[in-house]
Amino acid sequence: MNIENTQSQMRKGILEFCIFSIIRRGEAYPSDIVEEMRAANLHIFEGTLYPLLTRLKNADMLTYRWIESNSGPPRKYFSLTAKGEDFYKELEATWNELAHAVNALANKKESLTTTITPGNITINPENTTTN
Amino acid sequence: MKKVININFQGRIIPIEETAYELLKQYVESLRKYFALEDGRDEIINDIEGRIAELFSERLKKGTTCIADNDVNAVIASIGRPEDFDAQEAELGGATPNQNQSSSSQQSQQKTNSSQQNYSYGSGTNRGRLYRNADDKLIGGVASGLANYLGIDPVIARILFVVFFAALFWVYVILWIIVPSKSVQSNITKRLYRSADSKVLGGVAGGLAAYFNIDVWIPRLIFALPLIVGVFSGPFGMFWNDWDMWWGPRILTGSLSGTLGLTYIILWIAVPIATTASEKLEMKGERVDLNSIRDTVKGDLENFKSKAQNFSSELKQSAAQFGEKAKEFGQTAGNTAKTFASEATPIARSAGSGVGHVIAVLFKAFFLFIGGILALALLGVMAGLFGAGVVIMPFKGFFLESGWQSVVAWSTLLFFFGIPVLAFLVWIIRKIAGAKKNPYIAYVFGVLWIIGLISFISLIAGIDRNFRGGARIQNDIRLSPIKDRLTVKVTESNVRYYGGWMNFGDGIRFTEDSLVLSNVGLKIEKSLDSSYHASYTRYSNGKTDGQAEDLARNTSYTVTQWDSILYLDKGFSIPRGEKFRNQHIMVTIQIPIGKRIILDKSVNRKLNRWFSLGNSRGRWRDWDWDNNDGYWINGDWNNNIEYIMTPGGIESIDRMDEQELKKGKYKLKEINNSNTDHENSENDQQNDTDTRQDNKYRYRPGNDSTKPKTIIDTVVNTSTTYNDDANKDEEKEDSREKNSSVLNTSLYVFGRMFQQ
Repeated sequence: MNIENTQSQMRKGILEFCIFSIIRRGEAYPSDIVEEMRAANLHIFEGTLYPLLTRLKNADMLTYRWIESNSGPPRKYFSLTAKGEDFYKELEATWNELAHAVNALANKKESLTTTITPGNITINPENTTTN
Repeated sequence: MKKVININFQGRIIPIEETAYELLKQYVESLRKYFALEDGRDEIINDIEGRIAELFSERLKKGTTCIADNDVNAVIASIGRPEDFDAQEAELGGATPNQNQSSSSQQSQQKTNSSQQNYSYGSGTNRGRLYRNADDKLIGGVASGLANYLGIDPVIARILFVVFFAALFWVYVILWIIVPSKSVQSNITKRLYRSADSKVLGGVAGGLAAYFNIDVWIPRLIFALPLIVGVFSGPFGMFWNDWDMWWGPRILTGSLSGTLGLTYIILWIAVPIATTASEKLEMKGERVDLNSIRDTVKGDLENFKSKAQNFSSELKQSAAQFGEKAKEFGQTAGNTAKTFASEATPIARSAGSGVGHVIAVLFKAFFLFIGGILALALLGVMAGLFGAGVVIMPFKGFFLESGWQSVVAWSTLLFFFGIPVLAFLVWIIRKIAGAKKNPYIAYVFGVLWIIGLISFISLIAGIDRNFRGGARIQNDIRLSPIKDRLTVKVTESNVRYYGGWMNFGDGIRFTEDSLVLSNVGLKIEKSLDSSYHASYTRYSNGKTDGQAEDLARNTSYTVTQWDSILYLDKGFSIPRGEKFRNQHIMVTIQIPIGKRIILDKSVNRKLNRWFSLGNSRGRWRDWDWDNNDGYWINGDWNNNIEYIMTPGGIESIDRMDEQELKKGKYKLKEINNSNTDHENSENDQQNDTDTRQDNKYRYRPGNDSTKPKTIIDTVVNTSTTYNDDANKDEEKEDSREKNSSVLNTSLYVFGRMFQQ
């Protein structure tokens, strides 16, 4: 298992959440979404974004309207539907839990061995899951 | 100077260079192909096109006069190519086109009237017809098209075509001509990768196991077996093997491990390693769709468990969530029919003009053929030299001084001969496996080969020095009087070598502790007086004349007389530790006029197969073979026939006129048995040299009968027969001779090489 693989596993789960977060703040133009994500160091191709938006739109999570631009034909601006809003809430809750749990684990300083008493050595990582 | 055209692109007028326009068109086409199975693909394409148009007009606004290639490339880099989406989406685990497809086939079960929706990805879109694959091709796309048609891996088809190059070449060309080209969506996703997860050395065994769907320990054991055997046999081998600790011969005994080891290394270099999720799936041959990706991801996560259980299970949950979500999308979207699926790939761009196509293919095939033959021949030569080198290496002690010369010899063998073979194999396999170009491999091979070349040159120079000096020692053999007929036979040398472990045929033989050479020549001359004489001369080269003389003196050779029979040794041996410096023996027999000689079968059977480095005019001195007037006997030299010495030369007794002979005159029979002799005598008058070639032993009336010596100069390379009554074995012998003659010739060439 290498680091890039793990990183991409982590990123994939949050991509949609990020897109929702951006659109939720107001109508968004796809290339602006890409710009914003790049600025936040999340690299994504427009070629990946457009199909995703279309799928979410077809799933009634997003809607769009045409807005006239001063430089040419009208542009598509996306916004959340009520269903998308609910979906976002769920994702947000999951994210917060996850972030909290991960941070708590990642920032913990003391080593496991200090908490083990001589009589209780059966602690093993499998039993500490939140399943 | 480029042509600029104006296009109406998503409602904008874009001036664009023609080449850039082609680029753009290709790009949009590739997107269309990629999203072919996607719901609302038109919408996606439209959105992307709109964005491209927007980017173009931004550029135009900045002052660019028209869109050029680099503008298009920059835009493509920003939007991303389908390959990039593949990687990204596989990583993202988002809904890929394939995923939608699989969910749509679920959907189709609910629908009643959609027979065409039973289509599922990977079931062979174009199974019905054979196409050449326009997308995945090395030469003409025949192999991958066939593989697609038969449902096997293109790599396998390609390897078959390469291995049976000679047989399948025309099949390939014909298919190339008659089968139409089309972008066929491959239904094969299984490819050979090295496995990153289950690797000990390079992951080759793991990759093979995944590819052939067997347990990983099987290929591992196969690769490791010779090594294990070698490790165990090594110490024990010393008891029965008298070799010094030098490891050269082990290459031979362990040739299996050598082959396997080499295979492993080649695969290690040539086969790419599977790192991303989609590559891992391809390695296992599973379809790259959402479910399988999720499974793989899960698998990865489970591996990771022991390290960070808490974290990974969270991720797993979210991955599962994603899966369900994606399915939902798929189902809602599934109502839109998938009729596009079957026509997913656009029909081949143009049928092309048939004749032009055929000519182009034949043209290409011609060069391919020439190139292939050349490459194979070169490879064969190199591999042959490498093999011969490996075989001859144990005996390098006979040829080379110890120390740096043997180092240089090894480096010549490995780098100069070995590297091209290895490089070619690696190149072929990388090409077949579709590995990305890696310039470092070429650099490394190049540098190693240059090292080999330098070694080779200095080796040749060193060997040349070893042969600079020359010496010869002549020994007369005292013969007791012989009446009028001498028989010459060849015996085994005084030491017999049974079952020497390597036999190079008749000219040269290596035994465990010595090099046995049958490098003996026989020369028949006219005696100056009335009795038989015999002598032998020992020749040798060496670094100096002194060394050469020592070596010549150390060569032991005996000629013995028994009544009227003269026994010659079949050869002589050079003990291990001594050097081979082209020692050879010339036996000279002088026959008085009117006396006869019989060459036994054991002498003449080996005519014309001899091994000597010494019969050309080189810088080396003392190559005095006295063949100024002799000729090689190349034709049939009949067994056990009596020959008689006449004033004009040696002649078969059958051809002499008996009556005349009794009177002491030498005259050919009046009536010749064969017509050719008539012709020859006619030719005789016109051109003497011609006849000499045609019939070497003819009596020539016009010849100067006082010519002092050398009538026949024949070289005898004597038999390796182990029993003296070898006649029974003759046929067997002969067939063996044929086999060994190639090697003898090559050794001869090898020898000549030293001289140059």
